[in-house]
Amino acid sequence: MNSKTLGYILKRVLLSILTVWVVITITFFVMHAVPGGPFLSEKAISEKAQAALEAKYGLDKPLHIQYFTYLKDIVTKFDFGPSLKQRGRNVIDIIKDGMRVSAKLGVIAAGIALAVGVVLGSVAALRRNRIIDKVIMVVTTAFVSMPSFIMGSFLLLLFAVKLRLLPANGATSGGLILPVITLSLSPMAYITRLTRSSMLDVLGQDYIRTAKAKGVPAGKIIFGHALKNSLIPVITYFGPMLAYIVTGSLVVEQIFAVPGIGRAFVNCITSRDYPLLMGTTIVLATLIVVMNLVSDILYKVVDPRINLE
Amino acid sequence: MKKKLLALLLAGVMALSLAACGKKSDEAISVCLASEPDTLDPALNSAVDGATLIAHLFSGLAKWELDEKGNLAIVADCAKELVDGVVGADGKVTYTYTLRDGLKWSDGKALTAKDFEFAWKRAASEELGADYGYMFEVVDGYADGNLNVTAKDDKTLVVVLSNAVSYWNELLAFPTYFPVREDVVASESWATDPKTYICNGPYTMTSWDHNSLIVLTKNDKYADANKVTMGKINFYLSDDANNMLSNFKNGDWQLIDDVPTNEIAALKTAYPNEFVVAGQIGTYYVCWNVNEKILPADFYKKNDAAAAEKAEAEVRNAVSLLFDRNYIAEEIGQAGQVPASSFVAMGMTDADGSQFYKNAGHSSSYVGYFDTAKSATESNFAAAVEILKKYYNYDASAKKFTNFPTMTYLYNTSEGHKAIGEYLQSAMASVGITMNLTNQEWATFLNTRKNGDYSIARNGWLADFNDPISFLDMWTTASGNNDVQLGKGEHENIKLYDLDLSSLGYDVKVKSGTWAQTYDKLIELIKGCTDTNKRYQLMHIAEDLLMSTGTICPLYYYTDIYMISEKVDGFFANPLGYKYFMYTTIKEK
Repeated sequence: MNSKTLGYILKRVLLSILTVWVVITITFFVMHAVPGGPFLSEKAISEKAQAALEAKYGLDKPLHIQYFTYLKDIVTKFDFGPSLKQRGRNVIDIIKDGMRVSAKLGVIAAGIALAVGVVLGSVAALRRNRIIDKVIMVVTTAFVSMPSFIMGSFLLLLFAVKLRLLPANGATSGGLILPVITLSLSPMAYITRLTRSSMLDVLGQDYIRTAKAKGVPAGKIIFGHALKNSLIPVITYFGPMLAYIVTGSLVVEQIFAVPGIGRAFVNCITSRDYPLLMGTTIVLATLIVVMNLVSDILYKVVDPRINLE
Repeated sequence: MKKKLLALLLAGVMALSLAACGKKSDEAISVCLASEPDTLDPALNSAVDGATLIAHLFSGLAKWELDEKGNLAIVADCAKELVDGVVGADGKVTYTYTLRDGLKWSDGKALTAKDFEFAWKRAASEELGADYGYMFEVVDGYADGNLNVTAKDDKTLVVVLSNAVSYWNELLAFPTYFPVREDVVASESWATDPKTYICNGPYTMTSWDHNSLIVLTKNDKYADANKVTMGKINFYLSDDANNMLSNFKNGDWQLIDDVPTNEIAALKTAYPNEFVVAGQIGTYYVCWNVNEKILPADFYKKNDAAAAEKAEAEVRNAVSLLFDRNYIAEEIGQAGQVPASSFVAMGMTDADGSQFYKNAGHSSSYVGYFDTAKSATESNFAAAVEILKKYYNYDASAKKFTNFPTMTYLYNTSEGHKAIGEYLQSAMASVGITMNLTNQEWATFLNTRKNGDYSIARNGWLADFNDPISFLDMWTTASGNNDVQLGKGEHENIKLYDLDLSSLGYDVKVKSGTWAQTYDKLIELIKGCTDTNKRYQLMHIAEDLLMSTGTICPLYYYTDIYMISEKVDGFFANPLGYKYFMYTTIKEK
């Protein structure tokens, strides 16, 4: 790695930090601008009790003071504060609990999408215009265009209710199977199509023809030369795929009642749990920013021709 | 290649089916009430699902139980017996409770009267800021922040109430009144971890997998442990009604507390014995902002504020008659809801043990403030039109009013509330009144309604205990739940209300008084009244006054719908919707 690349990475890291800070700032002020508060309920508590609670959590201070205190706590102590709704629990613990489940769900889904997608894409490319290619193309077109909430509801109805093969609740053993499938189908289909077209492109390149002419065995051509080069577009898709899985999990976790961070995120908005909302936003934003960065760097590693400037 | 693919597929299917085969345990019941409870601290909880869990984990002075005849009753639990109070010369009532012998916390330490004293003072304190802190309002000293409750010794608890309270025993069975131990609750996170969750009830918490599952296991240290039949309860945490139903249908869960609204009709026929509609003490209603101008503009120029308010009240009560509540209950709600003609809900008992709502209003031919019989729908409608004609221009050929100001109906985002809003809109449109619908997300909605930034809004109220005051004291001027804005803003100075209580022996005779001079005064009298009969009469008068404003338009009394497997025996629920699983058994077919 030369100094130019290092400089590029450093620049990107700084930009990422800036991005996360902007996200924090916007979320913080927008969140407080939304009407309603964390201590509001159908049955009103007394004004004194409300004031006591606001003082306890520092919500009685001016907004800009709250903002700077919040930033300071995160930067200096990595302290995300206590949850206002789930009393007695810290935001960091709730996020850890949620991330454990969501990360499992996301990593498995991404893994399946990649593995199955690349294999199917290669098969389709190598058997171009045969029946298997056509089947794969039709099915993947359907999967790419079907939103996850429809796919999730459909799988739930079929496997959990009608066939009773799999549990409907994502918190039970084996309960992650359906959410993983739901979440992986769309990116898997997209990767299949990407791999197919780039594989076809690569197979038509001169160096493949040269290799064939030199008598290199077909397996070596495909795995040694064609596959590696046809994966470049797949790697560029890595960032968007992660974004899809993170946002898709918001919906999928809701459908299958998976106790992940996506569900915590949706719920804390409704309940105006400010610290939890900030915490989950920061985690999700950081995740997407970092993954995009990693994907860009990987890009360079796989294809040295690419100039990162 | 093909064979390999097939083998892979088969292996996959096998793995999936293996995962689906869960082992069933004989002495465990799996239920799902709602999603993750915000808290399981008895003092902080204000949710029904949380209360159900806490009722299994803690034991107060009293508890709900089924008696030999199968009727719900409140019986002594930690207390030896539920004693009668001693009324002092000042009207204050003193209760002296003796605790049973051998009461223990789940960690083996002895439970003492001190724990009750500490727990009650903590729950009522402003520092804690508990939603249900006001449940101690009836105890002497609550207003000054110094609750009059003392542990005389380890076994004796003395509590003084400001006046006789008919629902006192019920309060003792309410989670906010359950004991907690000072050293246990010292750390704020005590109630979030099974290791630190020390309780004294029929069960202990053995695991809490956040957002997923809470497992309760029978507590052998509980005094009545021999009566508890269910060894383990799995409380699954989910708020997705579709997901709950899937799990109920495939037999994984034996009770679910929610079903998708659009499935109700189908479920009622498909599961006649398992689909349950239970009564619940609550009213679904529409509230008007009392300060909203709803008459033609020139009416306000010609009349003073009191006359305008009187006319507005008449108009609001007339509009209420346009609605067909049977249609709402049967076609929209579809869950056995009962059309409502009063604000205090069905299920509240009156002084003589009869239903309070049946004695509401002043008609001999129907119950409540208007007739909700199907046969009365048309005459109600016609009567409403006649009243409205007094104030608005009526186009007789089109049968429509032409100068009723456009209204906006506010509801919190939900398909069910929307459907009701649309019905109300169509009913009003049929006489030419335009009402637009607007919805807001829950917390925003609460804020808007509380601040009175609306003209008409959806509303609902569930009682916390069986006494009509829980429906009535929310409409005093200073109440935090006074969404109608009675006695606030312009309404504060409107002198319209009469109150004559001389026949009940009170020196109260107000002619054309303000809301504060009449309604607030009434509630104050009710809270201080020790004569049960008189107290209930006062509560009827308060409801009369409230309903005369027309700001409350009751639609139906709530019901609680849930599904319970036919295999479960010994289950019961109380009127507040708490569900009890400790005495259940599961029949294996």
